[in-house]
Amino acid sequence: MSESDASKSEPTLVERWLQDQQQWQRTLFTYLDSMMKNDEFLMHMGNAMRGSLLAGKPYPTTPPQAATSTEDAATADRLDKVLFALHQLQGQMQDVLMTLDEIRGARPIRLKPDSTNAKAIRLKPDSTKKPARATRTASGARKTGKRRTRS
Amino acid sequence: MERELEAMLARSEQTRARLDRLHDVLTSGGHYGTGATPATVVYQENKLRLLRLLDESGQPRSGPAVLFVPAPVSRYFVLDLLPDRSFAGHVAKAGFDVFIIDFGAPGEEDRFADLEYYVEGLLRRSVRKVSAITTQPAINIVGYCLGGTLSLLYTALHPATVTRLVLLTTMIDGDVKGGIAWVAHQMGLAGESYDDPRLVPAVEIKGWFEMLAPGSNSLIGRVNDLWERLDEPADRLRDVRTMATWVDDVVPAPGRLLAELYHQFGPGRNRLMARTATVGTRPIDCAAITMPVLSASAAKDLIAPADGVDAIRSLVRHAEVMRLAGGHVGIVAGRTALALWQRTVEFLKGT
Repeated sequence: MSESDASKSEPTLVERWLQDQQQWQRTLFTYLDSMMKNDEFLMHMGNAMRGSLLAGKPYPTTPPQAATSTEDAATADRLDKVLFALHQLQGQMQDVLMTLDEIRGARPIRLKPDSTNAKAIRLKPDSTKKPARATRTASGARKTGKRRTRS
Repeated sequence: MERELEAMLARSEQTRARLDRLHDVLTSGGHYGTGATPATVVYQENKLRLLRLLDESGQPRSGPAVLFVPAPVSRYFVLDLLPDRSFAGHVAKAGFDVFIIDFGAPGEEDRFADLEYYVEGLLRRSVRKVSAITTQPAINIVGYCLGGTLSLLYTALHPATVTRLVLLTTMIDGDVKGGIAWVAHQMGLAGESYDDPRLVPAVEIKGWFEMLAPGSNSLIGRVNDLWERLDEPADRLRDVRTMATWVDDVVPAPGRLLAELYHQFGPGRNRLMARTATVGTRPIDCAAITMPVLSASAAKDLIAPADGVDAIRSLVRHAEVMRLAGGHVGIVAGRTALALWQRTVEFLKGT
């Protein structure tokens, strides 16, 4: 290929400038299109403008202070304390349940098979249910809290 | 004249290409918003969920149990970020039965949660649950950042329940300058009330992180950083977005917990190093930690300075201490994280 052919195939500066303008239009339309079609795009843009790239969620802001009276605030505070105390109780209850599981060895206990349900179930503390039959240990002794009595 | 026009055109093309990539970045997903590895919830308490990772067929794995403990002030899934970028997933594939704590986002009432609630409540019961499920009386614990602090305190109180302890970027010496504790101190953390706590908003905690490195983590710095990075390849940019979206995604924190952390471990208090730390009324005796311990620090860590992390040597003399090139997040979830994952697996296997 001669030098003149090469120069013919290469776009001139003006042509390149025109192409660039067209590309800019395309870029602009892509942004406009996304803004129109994608509700979240503006949020993503806003996040990026704040130096954040939070995906799918708005930039965190301080929650507005609710206009409450001192009395309401005190009540809400007490309710929060009660609610947190309940969370603590929930934890303590979980500890109790885990301890019970440990005591039982967390083994499934087989009830007498009946016609409706012959599956092995876990023994749960329930005062309304008839106590399940205790399992036998390797030594043959029953695993119950009660002392065995001779009949 | 022509040369100037050429230069102008080149700048125009570069700017446009960056805007096109920015559009691509902004319309692609960041993190998943959940862990990447399939998991099942095996325990729930308050906002906490204890997750057990599943294998490819959706079944729990067998093998020695490992409990990952993330920081309660950030999202747990940094430890399980993407399918090919998951610390927890890597450990699971190496033959361990992996559990992860998701502390969730605290509600208003959780502002009363203190260190004891986290260590002797949530963490202790999670360990108990893992032990019960796996029938292993002692398990491995991997704590990250503040999650490492909780893990260390727990291990000192219940050493018989821990086989091996891994601490990742866990600050020990609060007097080492820099890091999130110092910034929080400068921003008024000392003013947090233990007796009348508030739920510290996420935006405030995010502000502390942004103050860590003005010029890089600050608003203008990060916008500039993003703009400069837009010349990088698309897959690299997706990585940046994934990591940045996690860094940005902080959660509110219980004021009582922060107040206690500050008063026990903050600058000028430093009760871990002084061996006067307590959880509730129980003193922390690190001499009880006799199991193998691995501590990893990051040379470029702005959140937990490496010197403050490596100070574990003076508390637990037998601890293996490693300092890795990279930052606080990069060493656990970045492109160079594999070095830490591999060493952790070896350590957990006892090699």
